[in-house]
Amino acid sequence: MDIVIRAAVMFVFVWLVTRAVGRRELSTLEPVDLILLIVIGDLIQQGVTQNDFSVTGGFLAVGTIAAMTVFFSYASFRFPRLGPIIEGDPVILVEHGEPLMRNLKRNRITLEELAAQARLTAQIAHIRDLEWAVLETSGQISFIPKQT
Amino acid sequence: MADVPDQLVLKVARDREGRRDVLFRRTAFTAILILLVLGLLNLFGQRPQTSTVDHPAATLELTAPSRVRGGLYYEARFRVDAIRELKKASLVLDSGWIEGTTINTIEPSPISEGSRDGDLVFELGHVPGGQEYVLYLQLQVNPTNVGRHSHDVQLYDGEELLASLDRTQTVFP
Repeated sequence: MDIVIRAAVMFVFVWLVTRAVGRRELSTLEPVDLILLIVIGDLIQQGVTQNDFSVTGGFLAVGTIAAMTVFFSYASFRFPRLGPIIEGDPVILVEHGEPLMRNLKRNRITLEELAAQARLTAQIAHIRDLEWAVLETSGQISFIPKQT
Repeated sequence: MADVPDQLVLKVARDREGRRDVLFRRTAFTAILILLVLGLLNLFGQRPQTSTVDHPAATLELTAPSRVRGGLYYEARFRVDAIRELKKASLVLDSGWIEGTTINTIEPSPISEGSRDGDLVFELGHVPGGQEYVLYLQLQVNPTNVGRHSHDVQLYDGEELLASLDRTQTVFP
């Protein structure tokens, strides 16, 4: 029973941590972000399974994490008001070629990072050529170029 | 000029009206920082504390953490300073010391071990006046042993109770 409770508590805590650190850190692989992503899995495993090396323990821990994932996903789907709390919601970063500095600042994204992402993922050289740039709930930025 | 992408509402996605995401993020991060500070302040263990009780015949000192977490190894050190000769010294440990805890080693080995009303008795034997006897216990907390446990210790000389320490250990999950 303990392992199920530990896995559920750890799931909620990791969700809280991921929401607290911000979505950008979870989708990029900058050196500091890489540290978070690498160590988090290793550290929570010890807290969840502790000295339990059994297959049954593994089933219970994985099953709990899977169940919590489905539960959160269903709650977000069934009750749309919970969506922004559980997963966040999209944020517009560029509108008609103009960067929205307030939204960039709130998400700790610099113009340099935005421009780099535009070049890398959409092959767009200038921010002014963007119609929209949207920070999605996954942490990735989608770029929609201006119609020529 | 292109339309707003589907499913995006400008008031929400651009102006962030009715959204408290930054506040939520800062609150959550503050909660995490508070947790870290509490950890640094030893709220969750495992820094040892020393408790001492004096008696005209002997002084009993216990150094052990009063807060630990599941799976941790720790040491409990019992120091008996004999002021006068103790002919048949013994330590009586509350059953809370051993419930859900693995004893890895006891050094030096007591002359004998026994049970008294469910408590653990370590017979130390003869301790000359003016000398000290130090007993080390190396322990490990079993992960399921969460909660508060009595860690009382009593020092006897034969059947005479010399000193009693009232302690509690809290085990965090």
